Amino acid sequence: MLHQIIIDENNMGFIPSIGASFQMNETAREIINHIQQGLHKDDIIQALVAKYGISQQEALIDVNDFFMKLKIYGLIQ
Amino acid sequence: MKYKKPVINRIDFAISSKYGSPLHSQKIRTEIDGIGVHELVEQYGSPLFVFSQKRIKEQYMQLKQAFEDRYPKLKLSWSYKTNYLNAICKIYHQLGSGAEVVSEFEYDKALANNVTPSDIIYNGPYKPKEYLKKAILNNSKIHVDHLLELEDVQSIAQELDQVVNVAIRVNMDVGVYPNWNRFGFNYDNNEAYEAIKFIANSPYLNLNGLHTHIGTFILEANAYKIATIKLMKLRQQALEEFGMNVEYIDLGGGFASKNHLKGIYQSPEVVVPSVDEYAQAITNAIYEYNTSDELPTLYLETGRYLIDEAGYLLTSIQAYKRLPNGMKSYILDAGVNILYTSAWYNFNIEIDKDYDNLTEPSILNGPLCMNIDVINDNISLPPLERNSILTISPVGAYNITQSMQFIRYRPRVVLIDDDSNTRLIRQEDDLQSVMAKELE
Repeated sequence: MLHQIIIDENNMGFIPSIGASFQMNETAREIINHIQQGLHKDDIIQALVAKYGISQQEALIDVNDFFMKLKIYGLIQ
Repeated sequence: MKYKKPVINRIDFAISSKYGSPLHSQKIRTEIDGIGVHELVEQYGSPLFVFSQKRIKEQYMQLKQAFEDRYPKLKLSWSYKTNYLNAICKIYHQLGSGAEVVSEFEYDKALANNVTPSDIIYNGPYKPKEYLKKAILNNSKIHVDHLLELEDVQSIAQELDQVVNVAIRVNMDVGVYPNWNRFGFNYDNNEAYEAIKFIANSPYLNLNGLHTHIGTFILEANAYKIATIKLMKLRQQALEEFGMNVEYIDLGGGFASKNHLKGIYQSPEVVVPSVDEYAQAITNAIYEYNTSDELPTLYLETGRYLIDEAGYLLTSIQAYKRLPNGMKSYILDAGVNILYTSAWYNFNIEIDKDYDNLTEPSILNGPLCMNIDVINDNISLPPLERNSILTISPVGAYNITQSMQFIRYRPRVVLIDDDSNTRLIRQEDDLQSVMAKELE
């Protein structure tokens, strides 16, 4: 489902097939882009650590939490 | 580039209303009376109750002025059950308040706080005979709740061979529901009149006061007008039919604070009457219905209005997790065992800095291993960091006195004085205090 999401310049996402809209911040958009490009969770964690200089632990907790929320929304399996 | 924790929210148009979307509000508090919330927690620990002496005085002076501008004979009594920390009680006594107590230990506390015994109002549905006698000997004001108590007072008066002044508590329909009719004598079915007759017929009793307390968090000032009218009519009857001059009427408490009652959509600023509205309703009715040469002294015991907004609770985020329904659950170090009023209020909850991030639906859970430990079940917050501090308010009324030692120790309490100096006014519980009364 996540592959269908269209995100505009204001970080508003829309999935036409189910008519659902989403509000997100820049980091969320970035992670979704990574997923759409086929990156795995571990790669996304490393990408955030490298880009923002955050700790491995913080990135791990945040990405896991974000994946959980995507799952709850039915956007990933 | 600054990192922001990732946030995504499904747009549910049902959560928007005519008051707007709840997903954008972020209220921030970094200090209380000039002292940083982080500084307070670093010095005294978390969770931490904080009281502002400045706020206490401001609120007191507002109440006093609203009534004294309209009425010449006012007496305020500090309601001990609302908050009986000695440091708090003493502020009110220094400002000129007497004490209103509803138990033996509150009575003794008031005496220990050097309140003039005749300025102590002894209220409540249960007063042991031993303490009734003590109050009589001290010439304290006794507000009788029922006929059996009236007989108790009469028998003590007979034993002492003296005439004892009493007031009766009166309950009544003032158009506010639930109707508090379990305390005192009912006005509408003449029970109060019969109690006055009982007093008039006793050689040992004299009626010197009439008291009512119509409820709590009363959002309708007109209810006080009705209550005052009914008390004034009783006063007139006591004088005209029995020749008893009732010196004072006591309208009790129940004035609402600027707290947000659950189930009420509009903000407290919209629904809570101003103190001037309460004052006008009461004093106008006294003037209108006074038929005697002398105006009665007006007593008020309004605890919540005076203290609620002067109290804050600082609590730290200990952990967070994603619940299966998508909400973010924060685990705080303060729970419902120290926030009794969380059952009634949606508190004002402020974060410690601008997180510059989207908010998401969140739930604030306390640290207790109990499912009921919920401080707020639906609040929009940005992703908060571990150890960030939330300020919860108003919590000055009833939370200290009704806090429960359960699972975790009750926390410290700090007072910030007029000069922004902090003072510890209650130490936190420890194992010794928890076990102090246990026997092997």
